Amino acid sequence: MRATALRTLRSTTSSSITCNPARAFSISVPRSFAQPTDGAPPAGKAPQIKEFKIYRWNPDTPAEKPKLQSYKVDLSQCGPMMLDALIKIKNELDPTLTFRRSCREGICGSCAMNIDGVNTLACLCRIEKDASKPSKVYPLPHMYIVKDLVPDLTLFYKQYKSIEPFLKNDNPPAKGEFLQTQEERKKLDGMYECILCACCSTSCPSYWWNADQYLGPAVLMQAYRWMADSRDSYGAQRKEKMQNSMSLYRCHTIFNCSRTCPKGLNPALAISKMKYEMALDK
Amino acid sequence: MSLARPSSSLLRPVLGFRQFHTSRVAAVNASSQVRNAVVAADETGGFKYVPGGPILKGTVNDATTFPAPSKSHGSYHWAFERALSAALIPIMGGAAVSTGSAYPILDGILGVSLIIHSHIGFDSCVQDYIHERKFHYLGPLAKWALRAGTGLAVWGVYEFNTNDIGLTELTKRVWTA
Repeated sequence: MRATALRTLRSTTSSSITCNPARAFSISVPRSFAQPTDGAPPAGKAPQIKEFKIYRWNPDTPAEKPKLQSYKVDLSQCGPMMLDALIKIKNELDPTLTFRRSCREGICGSCAMNIDGVNTLACLCRIEKDASKPSKVYPLPHMYIVKDLVPDLTLFYKQYKSIEPFLKNDNPPAKGEFLQTQEERKKLDGMYECILCACCSTSCPSYWWNADQYLGPAVLMQAYRWMADSRDSYGAQRKEKMQNSMSLYRCHTIFNCSRTCPKGLNPALAISKMKYEMALDK
Repeated sequence: MSLARPSSSLLRPVLGFRQFHTSRVAAVNASSQVRNAVVAADETGGFKYVPGGPILKGTVNDATTFPAPSKSHGSYHWAFERALSAALIPIMGGAAVSTGSAYPILDGILGVSLIIHSHIGFDSCVQDYIHERKFHYLGPLAKWALRAGTGLAVWGVYEFNTNDIGLTELTKRVWTA
């Protein structure tokens, strides 16, 4: 009985869908899978062709200059987000297009890129519906590029490691866990949510000019996240490290970081709190 | 390599041979530290320096380092800068309602604090854009030129305030001119 049902389902759907007959039951209905449309828009929708200009650079031909490559995508056959368009281009138009992506829902931070002049996550960025204007997609600004839209984040991670982003306390409670009041816990809200996509750091002009020494908003907010944590007892030592002209004080309150954060966080606030506490020697 | 990966085009379609990508043979060890002493001058921890690429100190697993801590370059400097900026508001207000010839001390404080304020601002520009660690000649030159300029400005304001009409009086005359 079940096998017959499967067979009829298979015959009605496209051949690209494979059902595993060995499975006891099917979790998702194959009919609800996305179907190839052979280039025709779904019923009741007019085709809407939008141009995407995407930064291309291939490390295999380093002498060739980076260029903007143009792709035309029918928005009526594409998901609403920029990442949908990129995946569609990679699937159907140009498999050599290279970009990072993973979760497609703004929690992994892989698809951070510069879309129409703003650093954001491609998966959280809606495609501008105005098809007359092309959308421009660049990698994160002022970063070394591995390929196409993939920046080299090695330095960013090395800097993150330098702030020791983990709980340090020599006197853990003898029994059970660290206890926090609700107020103490509340201090971490707006900081622990950071996914380290590097959108803010790469939007900061100060980080562009002095990335080798200035830590940048993302790493500084995480540094303050551990200073503000009531369970951490190394706040003074963490602040002592920042006592130089470069690591922290290259922040000139430009606020690009808070403006661009795709998660709606406020790194500038965390940095100013850190400066304030350090000035008062708290 | 040719033994491990037969390149006979006859075999491939028959056996369904998968073509392995071999451009990065050592990719399995890409993130592990190289522990032997034989490391070329242009590579660190197995990562070769690519011309035009980033220059990273140590391996990818080493954290970046911090400059030596100094409060006078850190929090004291910042607090002084902010306090001076805040103090300039009442000083300017005081100078606006007084006359320079009647209150020469206020005129002097205004001149010196304005110059220190702008010195800190320009010094920030020098550190941001032509820092010594990147510009070995231009950096120190800019730093000392700024210091010399600030010294000259303080001397000039002193001369102007003592031997001439003073800053406040000048501003008033220019304002009403």
